[in-house]
Amino acid sequence: MKIVLPGDKISDGPVRMENAIVENGKTYATVIGMLDDSKGTFVPLESVWYPRQGDFVIGIVENSKNNVHTVQLDSPFRGLILPPPRPRFGGRDRDRGGMRNEERQEILHVGDVVSSFVRDVRRESDQIILILERPRKLFGGKLVEVRPSKIPRVIGKENTMLRQLEDGTKCTILVGLNGIVWLKGGDAQLAQKAISKIQEEAHISGLTERINEMLAKGVQ
Amino acid sequence: MEGEKPQLMINGKRTDGRMPGDLRPIKIEVGILKNAEGSAYLEWGNNKVLAAVYGPKEAQPKHIADPNRAIIKCRYQMAPFSSLEEHNRSGPNRRAIEISKVTKEVFENVILLDNFPGSEIDVFVEVLQSDGGTRAAGITAAAVAIASSGIPMRDIPYAVSAGKAGEEIILDLNKLEDNYSDADMPVAISPRNGEILLLQMDGSLTKEQCEKAMQLIIKAGETITKVQRAALETRYL
Repeated sequence: MKIVLPGDKISDGPVRMENAIVENGKTYATVIGMLDDSKGTFVPLESVWYPRQGDFVIGIVENSKNNVHTVQLDSPFRGLILPPPRPRFGGRDRDRGGMRNEERQEILHVGDVVSSFVRDVRRESDQIILILERPRKLFGGKLVEVRPSKIPRVIGKENTMLRQLEDGTKCTILVGLNGIVWLKGGDAQLAQKAISKIQEEAHISGLTERINEMLAKGVQ
Repeated sequence: MEGEKPQLMINGKRTDGRMPGDLRPIKIEVGILKNAEGSAYLEWGNNKVLAAVYGPKEAQPKHIADPNRAIIKCRYQMAPFSSLEEHNRSGPNRRAIEISKVTKEVFENVILLDNFPGSEIDVFVEVLQSDGGTRAAGITAAAVAIASSGIPMRDIPYAVSAGKAGEEIILDLNKLEDNYSDADMPVAISPRNGEILLLQMDGSLTKEQCEKAMQLIIKAGETITKVQRAALETRYL
């Protein structure tokens, strides 16, 4: 494992991988990351979130017009929650798993925190917009900003870190891949401290044990 | 009224005791501003420069957004207390606007702007103390700040100036040399492929002198790049 900086050669051949570019048949890193030569993996230490289909995101409803909600996701791209398609043959919306329009309007207001999934990354005439699906309003709680490159560490391998945090603090934690974490109930202060520790020490091994220790001790 | 020109080279040495091809000592620290996505503090001789990077975020106002790529907004600014003379007024002046523009153009060629259509990236360069060569110092610091922010870029550029004192080609001019030298040529280079990202010149150089200056700059670039890399790497060690 070694640290690779933007412009460093990752491979002598053209390799299609994230956070890298191919120039003159060679592959170069575009962000700071850890390169494992034996496995050929390149893990970024710092990166910017780039939306993908199926990403779980958390945001704040910014605007609501004609039943279309704009969601601020702390990213250059804006999310849109569209009204569900109208049933074609007069069936009830509920039968199709959607919400009726009036119901949705009652539920989502400007300023509400919503969690949702990216259904589509669409290029409109002048910008990229994210079509969001399955919106869920989050009541109460607290939002914490995390650098998007550290999100995989907050979740951990097979959710281990997240489970550990939830068990240790009795918080309900939702982690948006766009870098927003929602905390509710339990010891939110401790959870927040633990998350900032994860952010700062994400690249140092033995993190799980240190977080375990911290959670066992509680707030200092 | 021009005063008497001071002697810039005495017995083959410069006013601050350096040899013609010597750099001033450089020190860079990364990640000192918590609110910024990326930041760097650079000390280059007596220059003290703070660089901060924000974004990519939605371009504001909307009409400046480019639907095909991100735009860079760059602000180079000298603090009113940065120098004993001249820059005693805050706010952008003609010089600051020019340096902001050239700094922006350096990074437009390095950052992968196509990844973030319709967005903007803000680069701030604040000169806290100045002693000549602040545009080079600003570009060097901002390059490190951008790399530390995780914004994808092709390379980490560096910048340094070279000039002429009498017939001698000198590297990394300080304030006195900057004011009284016969030529001053700041250059920014992308070290991976040697692309020149900025080349400006005050005064005049012959072709041979220009070549010699470029050689000094490219050689000094190795040292500057080392310092930049060390600053980024120590953050994760």
